[in-house]
Amino acid sequence: MAGLASLLLGDGRLPVGAYTYSAGLEPAVAAGLTRDRIPALLKARLHTAAVTEAAAAVLALRAAGRDPVDYGPVQRALAARTPAAPLREASATLGRGVQRLARRLDPGHPAVTALTGIRPRPLRPVALGALGAVMGVSEEELARGVVYDELQTIASAALKLLPGDPLDTVTWILDAEPHAAAAVAEALAVRSPAELPARTPPLTEQWALEHAQRERRLFLA
Amino acid sequence: MPDQQSNQQSEQHLDQQSEQHSRPSRALRLGVAGPVGTGKSSILATLCRELAGELAMAVVTNDIYTDEDARFLRSAGVLPTERIRAVETGACPHTAIRDDVSANLDAVEDLEEAYGPLDLVLVESGGDNLTATFSPALADAQLFCIDVAGGGDVARKGGPGITGADLLIINKTDLAPYVEVDVAAMVADASHARDGLPVLALSKNDPVSVAELADWVRKMLERHRSGTHVPTDPGPMAPHSHSHDHGHDGS
Repeated sequence: MAGLASLLLGDGRLPVGAYTYSAGLEPAVAAGLTRDRIPALLKARLHTAAVTEAAAAVLALRAAGRDPVDYGPVQRALAARTPAAPLREASATLGRGVQRLARRLDPGHPAVTALTGIRPRPLRPVALGALGAVMGVSEEELARGVVYDELQTIASAALKLLPGDPLDTVTWILDAEPHAAAAVAEALAVRSPAELPARTPPLTEQWALEHAQRERRLFLA
Repeated sequence: MPDQQSNQQSEQHLDQQSEQHSRPSRALRLGVAGPVGTGKSSILATLCRELAGELAMAVVTNDIYTDEDARFLRSAGVLPTERIRAVETGACPHTAIRDDVSANLDAVEDLEEAYGPLDLVLVESGGDNLTATFSPALADAQLFCIDVAGGGDVARKGGPGITGADLLIINKTDLAPYVEVDVAAMVADASHARDGLPVLALSKNDPVSVAELADWVRKMLERHRSGTHVPTDPGPMAPHSHSHDHGHDGS
């Protein structure tokens, strides 16, 4: 249906500020993660944060299709499942870039106007649901875009944080395929905000809290 | 808790403003770019010292390591610390001011919302190279800063910032005798490359040049407010041809 739009969603060059985010890699590296452990980190993220994020984005996309549009339940459910304040703040910051794009594409779209004034600001998956509605992507395309973005964010950040051959990153991502497919399927199966999986990896939360206290950071989280 | 209604209004208001450069009610967004070590942070400190008494100002810095420049400026005591924000650039300072300016726009809009109405927001680029310039989606006008210590031939080598920025600053002129650079020749080279756009030889220890810099900013602010200034993009690349280019015969 929306061939180019779904590719744009997963494109790191989409100008929504994603290059400021390492999806937890920089805090993990500061805690001692080494390059050989990145594939394991990708797998761990696909079983945890990526499922929650993708499911929330799909719920937001469904909310965007109703009249009136109300993101409140999914925004609250996601916030409740993101206990570390720095991660909620990072998500809201990234969501703001997505919201800015959605507003530019179709400022009067009900899915976009419903984002305005949400405080705290819309978390990234909520804004992605709105963007998905504006661009006309399917639930599956959106979920896959979120999951893929998680992988590519870590892979790209690794080139800055644990430098090595960039071609390695492609292998990491392709090898993660079964886990990525499972994450997409799991996200699509979530029927309501109450069912949103609470996949909070405790170490990720702890590292995020430590990261927020550091002064010399490359990435916001 | 902030009032939701006013939040909605200001959000829409700011969004409209960011898409309309000539709107006089919005602060002038002045970018300061240039290679690492040429004195960008020092220029920001100078501008704050000269203008903070008469203008409502705020500063956004972009660093490779997040907040080095912000900390320098805060310690300089030239502006209340909360008016100086640092943007995380994911080690992509070039991207943050050109290819994807969203993180910087967020910072500028937050400062305008918190301390507005502002007259002037200074946005400092991360110290990059001769090709890093601001997108007009972020900066209404921009300074490009090089210095005499980088060598007398830098101005002649050109690049988009040198040829196309609204103002080119040749900084640290007080060091010229020590690095054997002829400032007048460097200014002449730069003027030649810039097709009449202004060039300023600056030293923070030369009050006349500092006053000229402050005056240039005041005039730019006037042009911004009257809607007569059109933001231009120096571009990411040096122009392929130029009316003053030397021919390929080496002349």
